[in-house]
Amino acid sequence: MKQICTIAAKEFSDRFRSGWVIACAMVWLGAIALTSLFGLVQIGRIGLQGYDRTAVSLLNLVQYLVPLLGLLLGHDLLVSEREDRTLALIHAGGVTRARVLSGKFIGGCFTLAFPLGLGFVIAGTAIGLSAKDKAMGSFFTLAISGLVLGVIFLGLGLLISTLCRSRVQTLVCALLAWCIAVFAFDLVAMGVVITANSTRAAQEIEEATDATHVASVADMHSAFEKGDEHATQMIADRSQKVATWLALNPVDLFRAANLPKSANIAVPPWLTTLSIMAWLLGALGIASWKLHRTDL
Amino acid sequence: MTALNQVSLAVERGQILALLGPNGAGKSTLFGCLLGLLRPGSGEILLEGHRIEASDRLKFGYLPERISLYPQRSVWDNGLFFARLKNRPRQELERQLKRVGLYAVADRPVRQLSKGMLQRLGLAIALCGQPELLVLDEPFNGLDPALLDGLENILREENDRGATLLISTHTMSAIEPLATHAAILLQGNLAASGRLEELRAAHGENSLEAVYHRIARQARAVAPQEVWT
Repeated sequence: MKQICTIAAKEFSDRFRSGWVIACAMVWLGAIALTSLFGLVQIGRIGLQGYDRTAVSLLNLVQYLVPLLGLLLGHDLLVSEREDRTLALIHAGGVTRARVLSGKFIGGCFTLAFPLGLGFVIAGTAIGLSAKDKAMGSFFTLAISGLVLGVIFLGLGLLISTLCRSRVQTLVCALLAWCIAVFAFDLVAMGVVITANSTRAAQEIEEATDATHVASVADMHSAFEKGDEHATQMIADRSQKVATWLALNPVDLFRAANLPKSANIAVPPWLTTLSIMAWLLGALGIASWKLHRTDL
Repeated sequence: MTALNQVSLAVERGQILALLGPNGAGKSTLFGCLLGLLRPGSGEILLEGHRIEASDRLKFGYLPERISLYPQRSVWDNGLFFARLKNRPRQELERQLKRVGLYAVADRPVRQLSKGMLQRLGLAIALCGQPELLVLDEPFNGLDPALLDGLENILREENDRGATLLISTHTMSAIEPLATHAAILLQGNLAASGRLEELRAAHGENSLEAVYHRIARQARAVAPQEVWT
């Protein structure tokens, strides 16, 4: 355990010294502040919003930015040490590959969680003080699910780091994974279902995807303006069926977890938990399997 | 491609074994297998009768041929990281840094070290934890005569303490006064091994270097296209 902690502490310390953590915290804070201030421009308003509004405004930012941060952090965790031959020295000193992987992952989690958590705490405090909003449930859900999303993509980044041989390869694969998860997945899923002539499923996907995309944020804000009843009516035709296919992609899962109730998109908690565990354990399991078969 | 073929070698506690051979003979591969960095296709390496576990490697010290550390970090930080991985106290690192003459530059970033200083830092890290087995891959490379002398003294002290030393090298003049045993690898095969004086006597030569060249010549005569010296 001490070896794992030593590696994790070094990982965090390295990123802190390099300025990664501070830069990430600044970018994140700036993004939250801007989104919170200008999130209502689409409906003609400027100013700090309450927790619910901020959560809706931040939804797109988190779903695009957090997976990217997780992948950018994770992709470099092992491949750089392997290229530099320091991994061989660590392992030769009696540290198993599993401990190296665990230490790297835990260190990466802290490195990611620190700036994200800091951003959410500062933004949450600012909103609470200025907007005098006490109903912070949706904002809290956004923060926690955002961190979980980041950790999943950190694990995927670590997996990429064990599968590739050079930093360049891992960077390309990490960016590709981000594009697939954030942009391509919905299109591919819809294409597959439509090709398979599953009209009902295709309709559900279309509705769910539509509900979670950028354009509909304005709809959601409009819904807030007109009250929950109107919102419910406006999106009433959206499927109440459990969109289980969302569990295939952590980004979609995140969207589903953070959409307002009026969107009528829900994934049952057991499926959410199962999906998160599958993604995390799957990525780390394959990474461990691969690392054990890799010559250092 | 087979890097090592049917190599069978026994090393006893307290020996200083010189592992000799041309570039590409399989010396580093053998060390890699011993340290768990490479997975042999077949065969096994035993330590006192059992397969080597990660916990056994806590008692190993390893100095790679091309030592690579964390360049942005200081000498002290690099040493402390590896000492902590071996669960050794700071005082131990301090003692080893003083021993290799780097304590005065402990605050200096590793990127500013010369090759010889880097080699000495690698040695200090390898020596942390009073290893029972020291695996040194080309430790004499890049050292000036004074440093070479210092390194020989340290290695002697370690051996006197009871450590077993495996040293691969091309610098035969440096290893000959130090080694008790030698093994010669040619194209992944163990061409000869034994006590130094026995090898010299068996081949009718006065020096380890002459023994090595004789064995290499013989092997070249058998398979001229395969053996380079």
